[in-house]
Amino acid sequence: MEASELLQLVIAGLKNGSIYALLALGFTIVYAATNVINFAQGEFYMLGGMLAVFAFSGLNVPLVAAVALAVVTVAGIGALFERLAIRPRKDADPMALIIITVGGSLVFASVARHLFGSDALPLPEFTPGPSFVFAGAAIERQTIWIWVIVTATVIGLTLLYNRTRLGRAMRACMENREAARLMGIDTARVVMVSFALAAALGALAGVAVTPLTSTRFDIGAGIAVKGFAAAILGGLGSPLAAVAGGLLLGLIEQAVIPFSSVLKDVVALAVLLLVLFVRPQGLFRRTRKEKV
Amino acid sequence: MAAVPATRTLRWALAAIAGGLVLAAPFVVTDKYLLRILTFVGINLIMVAGLSLLFGYAGQISLGHAAFYGLGAYTSGFLAKLGVAWPLALVAGVAAAALGGLLLALPSLRLKGHYLAMATLGFGEIMLFFFTETEVITGGSNGLRGIPPAGLGPLVADTPQTKYLLVWAVACVVLLLAANVVRRRPGRALRAIHGSEMAAQACGIDTVRMKVQVFVISAALGGLSGVLYAHYVGFISPSTFTLHYSLVLVTMVALGGMGSLAGAVAGTVLLTMLPYADAIIPGLSRATVELLQDWESDIHGMVLILVMLFMPGGLAGWGRSFLARISVRRARSAGGDA
Amino acid sequence: MGMLSVQGITKRFGGLTAVDAVSFEVHEGTIHAIIGPNGAGKSTAFNLLTGFEKPDAGTVSFEGATITGMRPHRIVRLGLVRTFQNTVLFDDMTVLENVLVGMHVRTRAGFIGSALALPRVRTEERLAAEEAHRLLRLVDLGEVADARAGDLPHGRRRLLEIARALGSRPRLMLLDEPAAGLNNAETAQLAETLRRVRDSGVTIVVVEHDMGLVMDVSDEIVVLNEGRKIAEGPPLLIQKDPAVIEAYLGEEAVDA
Repeated sequence: MEASELLQLVIAGLKNGSIYALLALGFTIVYAATNVINFAQGEFYMLGGMLAVFAFSGLNVPLVAAVALAVVTVAGIGALFERLAIRPRKDADPMALIIITVGGSLVFASVARHLFGSDALPLPEFTPGPSFVFAGAAIERQTIWIWVIVTATVIGLTLLYNRTRLGRAMRACMENREAARLMGIDTARVVMVSFALAAALGALAGVAVTPLTSTRFDIGAGIAVKGFAAAILGGLGSPLAAVAGGLLLGLIEQAVIPFSSVLKDVVALAVLLLVLFVRPQGLFRRTRKEKV
Repeated sequence: MAAVPATRTLRWALAAIAGGLVLAAPFVVTDKYLLRILTFVGINLIMVAGLSLLFGYAGQISLGHAAFYGLGAYTSGFLAKLGVAWPLALVAGVAAAALGGLLLALPSLRLKGHYLAMATLGFGEIMLFFFTETEVITGGSNGLRGIPPAGLGPLVADTPQTKYLLVWAVACVVLLLAANVVRRRPGRALRAIHGSEMAAQACGIDTVRMKVQVFVISAALGGLSGVLYAHYVGFISPSTFTLHYSLVLVTMVALGGMGSLAGAVAGTVLLTMLPYADAIIPGLSRATVELLQDWESDIHGMVLILVMLFMPGGLAGWGRSFLARISVRRARSAGGDA
Repeated sequence: MGMLSVQGITKRFGGLTAVDAVSFEVHEGTIHAIIGPNGAGKSTAFNLLTGFEKPDAGTVSFEGATITGMRPHRIVRLGLVRTFQNTVLFDDMTVLENVLVGMHVRTRAGFIGSALALPRVRTEERLAAEEAHRLLRLVDLGEVADARAGDLPHGRRRLLEIARALGSRPRLMLLDEPAAGLNNAETAQLAETLRRVRDSGVTIVVVEHDMGLVMDVSDEIVVLNEGRKIAEGPPLLIQKDPAVIEAYLGEEAVDA
């Protein structure tokens, strides 16, 4: 294989990987706050793209505003979902909460179909124009946007966690929720914010990728599995590890393509099962303390 | 204490009535559409009986049971098309599903809660991928056509009535066996594992072994159900064996109530019939039925959420409190004092 | 050699040594107590004996067989059974069913036999139910056999857990703080039950905080402090042991 082809695969891997990273962050943030895996995380991604398309094409809002509107709305939906469906049973056994989020994903996908139909919907690139060429490999402008968004997210989260009261409260809950509550941290608020933030990140990923792939009501479950595979690669602990897991998964997927392009879709699933079975604590963590 | 024999009699009476209705249906029901739906109820019941043992009793979630349904259906369908006799194809289908269950259960059994949920979901999606991609065996996304009806020598279930009777005979046997299991030692061990795995171990239960066993049994029942489905409809394609179907199955068990086989049966009957409500409720407008079908997913999702939020005991919980109220009233009238 | 022989068991969590080379013997037909201030390593020692944790060093043998590192259910099968500090019952099952689960190792019916309702399975079920009722009467829970276990008050939950443990017909029963959260009357009833159980031929080890109960029922006491055994002997000697007094006084000073 030529160097430029290899570079092209790496670019594609880092592009998809960035999307997985945003979803993995969503899973990780909610898990840190609640010990719940939110099976509806993929629907936030789908809703992000859908609402941006609707605002842009349906309401004729400028693209920038449509994107912002979509992300904010989905964040609100995430917070509302937590308030109405998760908080009332927050002390129930994990199974009940898993089932609630599974139910949520069915409802979100189905309502999206009622509202926006079952066709694939397109969105223009944020900044249309020809691709950049770098050492013989093409980089679409939207890919640059995706990288910008991921980088900005990582910087933003770092600032949030280190520089703000809310962020410190979220970190305290991550370490030990019970201790955080005893220290006077409003854990209920942290949980709600975590859901809103995870939803916003999912929506952001969905909006950023829609110009390249278009969107449909039923894409949530598929992307959720990939995002979860990335999250579990990262160990469901630190946000940075989640990002690393996402990028790694994106690269692994591309690494398979020279051998078989069909298998690409099953790679994330294989990685997911392999990690769950062999190293459920993720690649980057030495041990895992399970609470009894 | 008097309540116990009363509910037991009631249960037997209900079972007898249900059995009579099931048996009479193909001779009374002339509407082919309704008979077809009732057959699907039977097929789903076999599937749900297995999932109820695994999820409802042992508390081990599976979001990938459609995979076992598919393994049974494709194995049996493929072999039958090659000319293998139906009973052998059936055994092979069940065995394939059981083997798949074993392969998934062995590494998964250490996993709990959301990890198990994701592992089973991932397994389901991988199997769906293989159903779609291994075209030589499965016919790919075009599906497998011309699967012969079930039969043994000259006895062939090729009419709607005989197909119905075959499916329901199997369903009744499966439910009877499952009911026998759940109220005896293995059933108690499964519920103990659901209650507290640690305490179950402290009672001498080999929780790992128990979980693998129940997983394999439930996968095998999924395979059995898939075999019956394949030979009933004669055509199978990957679009049947999706995550969505796995979630519908979970919804049926959850609606029925954890740890209740009768509840799971009720949940299955209700949710299977729901989109075809016009077949049993005469005079239901076409528009209403179409609305129900259009909103089926929303209904399933809302059922999952609402049951978990407001009626964790499911339909079975309602049933139990209803029976309790009856027996209290009886005891009062028997005692004479208010 | 005693019925249960513990030789130099050690367990470390990270840098902390929770149990440090502890050895002791439990003799058949006695009530043996393990006491010590908070954080002395009692519960960890307990988990090591019953297979819920694996020791980093040392051996545990029961009636001559080494059980170190054996999985918990196998240890139960050998006749060594435990209860939990916070009383873990199967709340959604009835009181009777809880005891029947306790009898798991003494019954055999599997999936196939049960599904087919074979005659031997039916007989076994009937006999098991009879014995479960008998065990419930032993701990004065006979009249609530059909109640939901989750609905029992605290004191009765303890008794049910003991009945469930007895269901396996153990040779040795380990109780983790059985008196925690019980009032005086309930503790007295517990002491009475423990003596009755011992007299029926079951050797007992209790990890306990309640000094009254310990001094009242035990034949032999092991005292742990900071993971080490600091004293061992009958109650009267332990009460006067300077090392024990110091360990407990230290704790009281912290508590105050």
